[in-house]
Amino acid sequence: MSAIAQSIGGEPVTTKLAMKMEDSLQAFAVRAACFIGELEVPFSEEFDGHDFGATHVIAYVGDEPVGTVRVRWFQSFAMPERLAVMQRFRGHNIGQMLLERCRKLAESRGCNMLYAQALPADVKYWEKQGWRRLVPEEAGSAAKRIVAVVKAVDPSKPLPDVEAPEVVVLRREPQLDSTGMPRGTVSN
Amino acid sequence: MTTQPPAGTNRPVVTIKLASTSDELLQCYALRAAVFMGEQQCPYWEEFDGNDYTASHLMLYVDGEPAASMRVRWFAGFAKLERAIILKRYRSMGLFIPFVEWAKEFCRKKGYPKAYLHGQQRLWKIFEKDGFHRVNDKPFHFSDHEYGAFVCDLEVGEDCPTVHTDPMVLNRPEDQLDKAGILEQSMDRGASNPHADWTEKRA
Repeated sequence: MSAIAQSIGGEPVTTKLAMKMEDSLQAFAVRAACFIGELEVPFSEEFDGHDFGATHVIAYVGDEPVGTVRVRWFQSFAMPERLAVMQRFRGHNIGQMLLERCRKLAESRGCNMLYAQALPADVKYWEKQGWRRLVPEEAGSAAKRIVAVVKAVDPSKPLPDVEAPEVVVLRREPQLDSTGMPRGTVSN
Repeated sequence: MTTQPPAGTNRPVVTIKLASTSDELLQCYALRAAVFMGEQQCPYWEEFDGNDYTASHLMLYVDGEPAASMRVRWFAGFAKLERAIILKRYRSMGLFIPFVEWAKEFCRKKGYPKAYLHGQQRLWKIFEKDGFHRVNDKPFHFSDHEYGAFVCDLEVGEDCPTVHTDPMVLNRPEDQLDKAGILEQSMDRGASNPHADWTEKRA
């Protein structure tokens, strides 16, 4: 694991959970800047209806909100998603710091697996931080748009191999009027 | 206000309204974060400067998707238009001038005789074409940009609210002063004055 910056330009780098309206607004602002401003994701896809059933972690440089991740809680796993770091603060492992905060949060809740969905191009980023593909890469599966990656919350208790690839459906988002769970769950 | 495109065209439906729910406010903040923080690298605390909760926010939608926003603050004698943005994918659609026109009309209908704004130099010609003129020739700068102060006179007419206006008109949603509002519907219930004795107890 690479070193995490403790300060940038003399300003301390910290993380906290969103607890107040203003905190949530900061998380939303960082996501809007990165996903809507930079990547041109439509507003209605970025703010998908799950924001008020999730936990938001925010990273600060000094008092400037510079990164965020959203964690959704499922019965057998925690799901970090919408990981974003403001462009000019990238390269300082702030994303890693946010994911580590998620891991600790999951640990404190007795959850033992983290599950995330990554774009194929980003899988290396997750693997460098100790995540692995839920389903081993198959030859000729490059067409798959989204790759499920998992990580044990307690590094001394590695996850058993998950066999049936169909237990997690790799679709973008469950419909809002469904139970809010991906079809099926990841079983240990 | 919703502009229906001519039948048989593929032009989008454009709607402009006063942000009046927390969802609409969040949309406004998200668009500003996208443009000012995401595109222009503005620091969070300069963008969200503490004035958002003393202001009115205007939203423009293209086919229902949030596309542009503007903040209006109310001073004695003039309204200040600021934080006007259009999301990148909706630029070059000619939305800016109609949006500013709508904002000016909104201010006028509230009885404000002047709209005021700080314009970046690259936009001066556009504001001048739209009826604004420089307040003076002194430029100033903040958040990395140079600005000039502009003002546009608005024709406040008899239709604008005063203290003598029907009180129930003043209770209407501010972007729909010409339509009966929800409190006028409540008049059907009559005045039972359910808390009439509360004041007496305190007295």
